[in-house]
Amino acid sequence: MRYDEEHAQLRGEARRWLAEHVTPTELRRLATDARSGEPALWPELAALGWTGLLIPERHGGAGLGAVYLAVLAEETGRRLLPAPLLPTLLAAKLIERASDVAQRERWLPGVARGEAVATVAHVEPGGAWEAAATSATLEHGRISGAKHHVWAGGTAQLLLVPVRERTGLRLVLVRSDAEGVTIEPESGLDSSRRTGRVRFANAACEVLAGDATAAWRGWLPWAWLALAAEMAGGADAVLTLTAAYAATRVQFDKPIGSFQAIKHPLVNVLIAVEQLRTLVYAAASALDAGEPEADRLARMAKAAASEAYPFACSRAVQFHGGYGFTEDCDAHLYLRRALASRPAFGDAREQRAAIAASLLDGDGATAASLPRP
Amino acid sequence: MSEPIDELRVRVREWLRPNLPPAPAFALPQNALTVTNDEQMSWLRDWQARLYDAGFVGAEWPAAYGGRGLAPGAQRAIDQELARAGAPFLVNNVALAWAGPMILHFGTEAQRQRFLAKLLRADEIWCQGFSEPGAGSDLASLRTRAVRDGNEYRIDGHKVWTSLGRFADFMILLARTDPSAPKHAGISYFLAPLRIPGVEVRPLTKLTGEGGFNQVIFTAARIPANLLLGREGQGWELATATLSFERGATQGSAGASSLGGAALEQLIALLRSSPPLRDDAVLRDRLAALAIEATALRYAGARMRVPGLVADRPQALPLMSKLVGTEHVQRVAELGCEIAGYAGTLWQDPAVPGTGEWPRSYLSSFAGTIAGGTSEILRNVLGEKVLGLPKTR
Repeated sequence: MRYDEEHAQLRGEARRWLAEHVTPTELRRLATDARSGEPALWPELAALGWTGLLIPERHGGAGLGAVYLAVLAEETGRRLLPAPLLPTLLAAKLIERASDVAQRERWLPGVARGEAVATVAHVEPGGAWEAAATSATLEHGRISGAKHHVWAGGTAQLLLVPVRERTGLRLVLVRSDAEGVTIEPESGLDSSRRTGRVRFANAACEVLAGDATAAWRGWLPWAWLALAAEMAGGADAVLTLTAAYAATRVQFDKPIGSFQAIKHPLVNVLIAVEQLRTLVYAAASALDAGEPEADRLARMAKAAASEAYPFACSRAVQFHGGYGFTEDCDAHLYLRRALASRPAFGDAREQRAAIAASLLDGDGATAASLPRP
Repeated sequence: MSEPIDELRVRVREWLRPNLPPAPAFALPQNALTVTNDEQMSWLRDWQARLYDAGFVGAEWPAAYGGRGLAPGAQRAIDQELARAGAPFLVNNVALAWAGPMILHFGTEAQRQRFLAKLLRADEIWCQGFSEPGAGSDLASLRTRAVRDGNEYRIDGHKVWTSLGRFADFMILLARTDPSAPKHAGISYFLAPLRIPGVEVRPLTKLTGEGGFNQVIFTAARIPANLLLGREGQGWELATATLSFERGATQGSAGASSLGGAALEQLIALLRSSPPLRDDAVLRDRLAALAIEATALRYAGARMRVPGLVADRPQALPLMSKLVGTEHVQRVAELGCEIAGYAGTLWQDPAVPGTGEWPRSYLSSFAGTIAGGTSEILRNVLGEKVLGLPKTR
């Protein structure tokens, strides 16, 4: 696996900065200050160079790879960063993969500098999330349709949308202030990551020049990885929080963490979290190395994350007891993020169905066996 | 200039080509814990000796003690090549994994000279004498006594779960030398010979109906005092070091590590060959969940070798590996029984060839989740050492 001094340096820097700037108090303030329209901490995130992390250097970014993405996503997940960094990182990656050079040069430098929050608007009103399932249409260069559950729906300036054209699937870029685009905020479970509903009524857009189907397929592992890493960070943070509480909360004259009814389930959470982190860094290293197994490893990471994170959070609420049932306890903030992240880009059941197909279907000669380091 | 790992791998592969033995006429056991007869034992000893003579056992150990003095990583590369070629396991595994590293780290010069080369070559077989009928998870309550008498110790007591016991020449033995001391403080660690008067080995039958384990009863057996490892009273500390080798927490064992995932590959093959079940969504989901777990286990070793990726909790993966590995194997075997259905209820029925493997694997899997620290004890250890939770006892 690849991980060197510079990865560790990014982790250290991110962990310090986020601990200072994204406190639980700040999170709660942002939750009540929902409609401000400005993404939290955005100029600071751009100044840190994080908005351009994955964007190639020739287009104004840092040109860094999947392990860096995993590190940054894990650390932001740890603090439930309420800014649209992950959607912007992922949208930039999809623009890069689906565009020609001129388009990359037109759009990516602004995203790198933090001038535009970007997001991928791909979820159908019914919840279908694969690009191929899109019902949005492209006619005479204009987009019509609707997308729901759009990350940063209220703050993004650039929307990247899969659309149907007569000749097949396309990816288009739409400015959120274009005529015919209406965005309304969704009332969501997770106030640290706001979402919106977007309607396109014959709105102007730019069609990206590349093969949309190939770009989407190649990009999905990045989305699975980023989300899995972010969820790993959250799960790890909520585990640490709960272990610290169990070590100090006294009932029956003993810290409750000394009781095996608390200790053993927390160890089960530890195992789930550490296995998840192993899969995250296995997937990230494989993506950077261009290994064919990267796709399946990233799926596995997202599947593991979709179970480990809600599990860690449910134990956190439960083991905080009555305090865990209050707004004051941070456990529910993580639980909300965990539940909101679970269906994104496919939950555990969906990922496992695809993994099972890779292991069981096809004839013996084509059957894949398990990934190997 | 030491040999690059890639060249070593090539050398192992080239040696294996003419030297990998064909399967013998009799059935080989699955591992060293299940050797049941002399025929198996002598075949496996011969294999280990040939591998040793070729330089592939104890590769990283000092040449002065019969090793080859190769650089760190050499043994792992050799083990991987052996596993990849489907080579038979090394039968003297108690010696390679535990007795050997203990003698290397804590033994006197005379003890190292006396034992190490012979155990690497399987010239002398070792077993472990820790557990007793009354001392399992609470090992420190053991009651076997060692009483100093001149240049000897007199041993009286009863040890159980001694795999390889009936073939063994020596035992790493825990015995109480000071009954008046607190229970952890009065224990000493011996390198005890077994082929002496006063030692009786009785077979113990496992829940599968198979042999393999033994009980060893000491009745006024006399062993030389210079076979004490470390100091009198240091036994608990040394036992803890041994158990950390046993649980995979310490690098440096001399060979015979195994790669995970083999059981799962069999399960995939089973489900592929069961057409109606192959399309069952529930079974597919459960199989995929196990595949994800197996993959996490496979990559854990690679992650552990990158210090930056384990910096937050350096002890977590090493202390988890035995717990999660054995529970994974158990889940795989259990699902295998379930998929096998009625066929999985037969036990080596001559009318239906091949039956009994899945239930046998499942029943046997409890050896893994019980021996060397039960899963429950290991969860206590992880909770306390990694999560910082207060002690249970």
